[in-house]
Amino acid sequence: METPYTDHLTSIDYEQVYEPAEDSFLLLDALEADLSFIESLQPQVCLEVGPGSGIIVTALAKKLKETLCLATDINPYACKATKKTANHNGTFVESINCNLVDLLRKKTIDLLVFNPPYVVTSDEELKNQSYTNSQITFSWAGGVHGRRVIDELLKSLDSILSAKGVFYLLALRENKPDELIINLNTLGFTAIKFMERRIPGEYLYILKITRK
Amino acid sequence: MRLSTYNFLTSKAIKGVKVGFPLKLTIAKQDVVESEFNPTFIERLLPRLDWSGIRLAAEVAGLNDDIPAELPANVAENEELLKKLHHLLLEIDVLEGQLECPETGRVFPITDGIPNMLLNEDEV
Ligand SMILES: C[S@@+](CC[C@H](N)C(=O)[O-])C[C@H]1O[C@@H](n2cnc3c(N)ncnc32)[C@H](O)[C@@H]1O
Repeated sequence: METPYTDHLTSIDYEQVYEPAEDSFLLLDALEADLSFIESLQPQVCLEVGPGSGIIVTALAKKLKETLCLATDINPYACKATKKTANHNGTFVESINCNLVDLLRKKTIDLLVFNPPYVVTSDEELKNQSYTNSQITFSWAGGVHGRRVIDELLKSLDSILSAKGVFYLLALRENKPDELIINLNTLGFTAIKFMERRIPGEYLYILKITRK
Repeated sequence: MRLSTYNFLTSKAIKGVKVGFPLKLTIAKQDVVESEFNPTFIERLLPRLDWSGIRLAAEVAGLNDDIPAELPANVAENEELLKKLHHLLLEIDVLEGQLECPETGRVFPITDGIPNMLLNEDEV
């Protein structure tokens, strides 16, 4: 997969929108490595939750020409950036400004991707962001164990994923990936550590999740 | 917001809403973005789409003559209809307008092509 151009975004944009970093690239690498599997699913609908700059969903949209690519972000600046990035790279991604998958019809997503706000913070820090006007806090503040937003999405996973659906989720060691895998099992999913990488100061995993 | 996306949006997350679909769509400003016709894309997507939502989109876009009341069985061989669906679902881009919950009347504005569907804490 080609890495999309992001030269239209400037340091001013990155004050409001998550700038692609090692975690973004790990997720891109994992999707690239599993591309033949993804293509074999013939996904009708792809959704990236929290696209930020839009770099990941744009790479997917460029590759999956017969897939409708959607993106939902709680940060309106990220929604705008995502549309721009897709456009700048000659493709189309739909941005919807909303929380996770709340507003989507059931069992419709075949390919789900999420690089969540995974940094361990206090729950207050996560809550307070709604009252400050710094949208960028959404990109990293994850609450206790960095799991608040991840756990909220897992609760909706069964209702949003189609029968053949697959979900790629990035997690940090502090997010307790082994516990996530057990929880997913209880919810009726198989989860494996598909890829992992040590980066300065963090150890990251990509979980690949399918229905049992 | 393209009209294919419209087909996937509901207001079910609002407290007390039973179905929340299809949302009432109003278009104030739209763009038509020409895109390459790919019959496989449309054909594959159709089973994922809700026909009543497609019909409603066609009505709002002023294209109801193009879209039959029921999805015909042999749609794969009906290139003319696939082309019309392609135009309706992938080429019409709503830039300004709104979506409205059919049960509560809650309005979600569409600005610069992006629907704002953020709910307040007391709505969920
Ligand atoms: C770590 S950033 C990832 C950005 C991009 N996908 C990447 O990999 O570079 C997390 C993103 O999730 C978004 N986000 C956080 N909480 C969310 C929620 N509840 N619903 C939707 N998006 C959310 C943030 O605004 C941010 O864009």
